[in-house]
Amino acid sequence: MKKISLFVLFVLPLFCASELFLEITKGSEDPFKVAMIPFAGNASVSKKLNKVIRNDLSRTGEFSLLDERLLLPLEIENEEINYQDWRLLGMDYLVVGNIVKEKNSIDVSYEIYDIQKRRKIRSSKVFGLPTQLRQLAHYTSDGIYESIAGIKGIASTKLLYVNEIKSGDIKSRYRLMLADSDGANEQTLLNSSEPIISPSWSPDGKNIAYVSFETGLAKVYIQNIATGKRESVLSQNTQISSPSWSPDGKYLSLTLYQDGNAEIYILRLRDRTLTRMTTQFAIDTESSWSPKGNKILFTSGRSGSAQIYELDLRRLNAKPKRLSFEGTYNAKASYLPNEEGIIFVHRSGDGLFNIALKYKKENFARILTESKMDESPSVAPNGNMVIYGITEGDQSMLAGFSLSGASFKLPASQGEVREPAWSNFLR
Amino acid sequence: MNKSLNITFTSLAFIIFTSCSSLQITEESVLNQAATGVTVSPKSIATQAVLANAVIYFEYDRFTLTTESIQALKGVVDLMNKNSKITLSLEGHADERGTREYNLALGQRRSESVSDYLIANGIKRSQLFAMSYGEERPLSLGSNDSAWSKNRRVEIK
Repeated sequence: MKKISLFVLFVLPLFCASELFLEITKGSEDPFKVAMIPFAGNASVSKKLNKVIRNDLSRTGEFSLLDERLLLPLEIENEEINYQDWRLLGMDYLVVGNIVKEKNSIDVSYEIYDIQKRRKIRSSKVFGLPTQLRQLAHYTSDGIYESIAGIKGIASTKLLYVNEIKSGDIKSRYRLMLADSDGANEQTLLNSSEPIISPSWSPDGKNIAYVSFETGLAKVYIQNIATGKRESVLSQNTQISSPSWSPDGKYLSLTLYQDGNAEIYILRLRDRTLTRMTTQFAIDTESSWSPKGNKILFTSGRSGSAQIYELDLRRLNAKPKRLSFEGTYNAKASYLPNEEGIIFVHRSGDGLFNIALKYKKENFARILTESKMDESPSVAPNGNMVIYGITEGDQSMLAGFSLSGASFKLPASQGEVREPAWSNFLR
Repeated sequence: MNKSLNITFTSLAFIIFTSCSSLQITEESVLNQAATGVTVSPKSIATQAVLANAVIYFEYDRFTLTTESIQALKGVVDLMNKNSKITLSLEGHADERGTREYNLALGQRRSESVSDYLIANGIKRSQLFAMSYGEERPLSLGSNDSAWSKNRRVEIK
């Protein structure tokens, strides 16, 4: 028996790649109809590129891509696009491209045609190393998305999340993971036998902050993604949690438990000076910055139940303003990038936890998800998508939706996946 | 005069050009995004002997002590009075419902409640360390009332 468990311990690391698999569950009502011809040039590169780009665009829910079997034979010699035929197929846009693969580089050039207006609307080229094929595909997807949807794409952004591997009687392993926005290209940033929660990105995408229990006590750490260099942000012998980076990268808002109760502080990273932001006998935690950096949202129990408050940082001794009034539990809020609304966790009357959206101009919350235990929503930098944690059966995984009504899931091949954090635009 | 007119004209032309032109031409190279991982070495096995085994349970989203908890804590007070040198770690926990950070704070409120009771009964603050694991360390793994009620607790170690 002992031999078996030793064997399990030994073999486990080999299966540790948890890899997420994208499943698109629903598209939106009125998507852009796009025909994308597999790019000319190197056939194997084209096939891989085509798959990643189609996934990227479909996942947004705003694109309906023409079935590859229905694609018309292409005649673009002399730039002759047969607009009439594409129009008959109901297409709004046509994407064509060409790949030049050399020993140390891949060049992808692509063009987008507006079928209605009968003209070329984009001509772009992306290039990189052969090992960066997926990134090339994501850049291409973002170019296509931006030209057609009119706002920046998020295919080339990244995700942080926590992966817990439970294995019977053996203690769980916790890993902080980094992956492309489609769940591919997964890398381990931290591997620990103690829990990890609340990952947060620096605005430039180069550093991360998170809470690790590795010393037995919750502490906030900052880690450089490229070098792996990390440090605990404060030496106080107290619990520290819930880090959130200010948009200018100079401050971290945090929750400190110095006098036993959770209170929000702002830490200036340059000289590690702390400013206390809340003084309340109730719980104050889960701070998150407004996109302009002049306000923070936080969760407080001061009304007798968890509710969302907003604090104006420009005014001295400003009184926090309560933003949520729906039901008895609203928590972990973050702003949409245009600040027109907030996304948060809401408990409904029947005890379900769902992701909700409340626009500034509206006095009600819109419930956007429908499973039982939805948690930790994180908004994409273009404001069009939200990724969050769901539990299906005993399994927790990541799921996402677009504000246009599409949804997708990212089930992992192994273990529990939760606490997603969407990066800013990285280029 | 002529020059400024010229500038106005050029900027106007630029505005017209950028707003009317529908063709976007871009060229960019893919960034090199390397990442390095870190492994935390397992924490050394706790050397502190387990001095008390009382577990204090709580109602959902609450941190007030119940009459049963107070009974259990009386035993702890007796033990502490007999051994004035021992120190206790009070570990607060929450069930899985609600957000992880809020549950971390809730677990802390629970351990502080236990700490406050012990201090009110003559135990020195320096002998107590109140902390929380939030919902990260459930005792019972199910997603039902019975599991949840076991997980809303303070462990005294």
